[in-house]
Amino acid sequence: MSAEQTVGMAQRPAEKKSTRPGIDWRGRLLDRAPFLVACLMLALIIAIYGSLQSGVFSLDELNLDTAAAMTLMLAATGQTIVLVRGGIDLSIGGMISIGTVIAATRFTDDPSTVALWSLVILALGFLIGALNGLLISLLKLQPFLVTLATWSILNGVAMIILPTDGGSVPSWWVGFASAQLVGLTSPVWMLLALLVVWWWFRATRVGIAIQATGSNEKSAFLSGVSITRVNLVTYGLSGLFAAGAALFLVTQTGAGSPTIGKDYILPSVAAAVIGGVSLFGGRGHLAGTLIGAFVLTLIGNLVFVLHVSSYWQPVASGIILLLSVLASSVAEKAARNRVQ
Amino acid sequence: MDLVTVKGLSKRYGGIVALSEATFSACAGEVHALLGENGAGKSTFIQILSGAVQHDGGSILVDGQDYRPANPDAAQALGIAAVFQELSLIPDLSVEQNIWFRHEPRTLLRTVNRAEMRRKTLALLDKYSFPALRPDQELRRLTLAERQIVEIAKGLAKDPRILILDEATSALPAREAEWLLKLTRQLATEGRLVIFISHRMAEVRAIADRLTIFRNGSTVAAHEANAVSDNEIVTQMIGRHLDRLYPERVSTATDLIALRVSNLSSGSRLTGVDFALREGEVLGVGGLQGHGQRELFQALFGATRATGAIELWGKPTSIGNPRQALTGKDGIALVPEDRRGQGLLLTKSVRENLTLSVIRRFTENGLLSRQKEAALVKEMVDFLRIKAGTPEQLAGTLSGGNQQKVIFGKMLLTQARVLLLYDPTRGVDVGTKGEIFQLMRDLAAKGYAILFHSSDMPELVHVADRVLVMRNGRIAATLEGDRISEAGILRAAMLESEAA
Ligand SMILES: Nc1ncnc2c1ncn2[C@@H]1O[C@H](COP(=O)(O)OP(=O)(O)O)[C@@H](O)[C@H]1O
Ligand SMILES: [Mg+2]
Repeated sequence: MSAEQTVGMAQRPAEKKSTRPGIDWRGRLLDRAPFLVACLMLALIIAIYGSLQSGVFSLDELNLDTAAAMTLMLAATGQTIVLVRGGIDLSIGGMISIGTVIAATRFTDDPSTVALWSLVILALGFLIGALNGLLISLLKLQPFLVTLATWSILNGVAMIILPTDGGSVPSWWVGFASAQLVGLTSPVWMLLALLVVWWWFRATRVGIAIQATGSNEKSAFLSGVSITRVNLVTYGLSGLFAAGAALFLVTQTGAGSPTIGKDYILPSVAAAVIGGVSLFGGRGHLAGTLIGAFVLTLIGNLVFVLHVSSYWQPVASGIILLLSVLASSVAEKAARNRVQ
Repeated sequence: MDLVTVKGLSKRYGGIVALSEATFSACAGEVHALLGENGAGKSTFIQILSGAVQHDGGSILVDGQDYRPANPDAAQALGIAAVFQELSLIPDLSVEQNIWFRHEPRTLLRTVNRAEMRRKTLALLDKYSFPALRPDQELRRLTLAERQIVEIAKGLAKDPRILILDEATSALPAREAEWLLKLTRQLATEGRLVIFISHRMAEVRAIADRLTIFRNGSTVAAHEANAVSDNEIVTQMIGRHLDRLYPERVSTATDLIALRVSNLSSGSRLTGVDFALREGEVLGVGGLQGHGQRELFQALFGATRATGAIELWGKPTSIGNPRQALTGKDGIALVPEDRRGQGLLLTKSVRENLTLSVIRRFTENGLLSRQKEAALVKEMVDFLRIKAGTPEQLAGTLSGGNQQKVIFGKMLLTQARVLLLYDPTRGVDVGTKGEIFQLMRDLAAKGYAILFHSSDMPELVHVADRVLVMRNGRIAATLEGDRISEAGILRAAMLESEAA
């Protein structure tokens, strides 16, 4: 470079861009648009529900609805972790079924037996999930295919353990879902616990590595992330939460069912997507998923109080899903145009 | 004693030999340049050093110890960090999260200590006088150059003994590139080894103590930097004598106006731009980086919204989106800035990349004619001398220069005769650069009209028939004939702005 040029460089009008962070409000708003849309939807549904039914704005209603949504919430929590990693887990359906049938056939009135088998179910959930993760990494297979296969296998095993709906769990286990502490039932406390654990988990190195792998796997690898370990942990956690969902589900049904799990596969994905979790990985939060789960659950209530055929429920859920996907794609486009 | 000694290193990808019998040695406290044409194996070499891929044969000694990292983590543990050509950043994390990724400072709860991370980020950016970056900004909102800078910060955050920079300056504007050169010297003074890959001879000259030259996967020579001439280096790199980099400038411009732009504006980035590009002309667009050049190209291609009038071959055109801009003989074709992101489908073959956007040309009665396609692909591959094993090789595995040629081919196949070339030689080796300039002149002679931006000023000076100098989103000057010089461009780009 010539001397003249070097001097010139120094005189170049400095680009005014401060190192000190100012907050990019519009950007943040756009990033959160899908989540905000989900909140709006929930508010709207609650408003309609509240105008048709009395006593909607009460603690009792909160306790009831949370209990109704909790199985889906637990399943969707696992699903959210997997989606943020950029994968998908269909096998949770099988895991939930297996969990309920093991509980319904092994639980006795003796609390220590229940504790033992609960641990077995949770451990099984984690291990089967981890196996999913291992297969995906080692065989370099699509998560969709691997978890579809494990779902089918688990489903079969559940049928072998308990061919038809039945069995039972002790009544004190059923009572767990309505146990109260300072006016709030255990499902509400679980909901809060989920949020706290998520908030913690997302800020740990493992949590960040999972998000990063979902955002860009190649970059994560080049940065030293072990993709195999990430898959092991993500799918393991997903299985663990599915097992937890099963344990909660039997408090609601009081029995085991070898087929019930499939009812949670797609809703768990839908709840996450409604809440703004990206199917492409890297983006989304549990708060959104939980809101999504509430939306899907309350739609059921709404259909009930409107006295229309219950077949309207899936129709309404589908429309809401479409609306939220639309909202996030509009927001994404707006955000992209801003960068240019 | 040498810090790194490499002997007989080899690496194959299926049938493709990326490295064979490469040797290398470098010691602490030096800047060691690694030179070679695109595809010579430089990136493969540094990927092996940094643990991203594993070698098939040969040995690497670091500090006299046998070294064979199983993954990037193992390499980093030994103090070896790389600034990768394809970047290793996470789009959904913030700048500071990216810099400290996997090494974040933590609180007692094992969560990321944000305050500490911010403090360390600012300290790091300050220590090495980094250009302005906002630590909290999400990476996907940054420009390519800013990302490159973040990647450098990320490498330095590991406080490595060996830092490898793979074509790090190629994505940087002049001022930032100069900063990086200073930084590189500073790192060597601190006793680190910097392995520096660049296609810009001036940079290598400015900072390298020693250099190693690769050709076709093997080491052809290693020199003390001041004991060898530019010509010798280039000859050893390309294995033949290169007479001249720039083709002779014979203006082939006619009076026919191919592209007339009036009062083109887009937000605050582009204001009232007027110019005319003639048939057979190579029109340069210069000026300091970030003064509207990118926006001009994007607006012309319809990738950003803009107001104003555009006439193509005398016909008023509204260019709404890239798809519209592409069509037919009267259309516009663009070679984009970020070839890996926008220009190429990395996981598709060379053939598919060439023909996807013009698939209609190979259809007869609604059926795809594979023969016709194959013939055109072959013609393009030969014409551009694209070095690929077969047309079915994945574009992502080609070297940079060959990827760029594929984009050229794609653009030529659209048959558009107004070409927008945005920094087409970025990250391309000298040999291929020469070919690209010659190609531009040949196309101009055939009646194509070319709008050409380069971040390398000498290229504008030697290749363009006229140069538009942009400043603050306007055209500050149009240089012609003898007035085209680096000094002239710089003066128009900066000095008058002080009066304004
Ligand atoms: N993943 C891969 N698969 C197949 N071929 C590859 C791959 N990576 C690199 N190559 C080939 O190896 C050779 C060396 O490439 P590279 O190391 O990127 O060269 P350079 O960095 O010197 O331009 C090229 O011919 C390239 O096409
Ligand atoms: Mg390279």
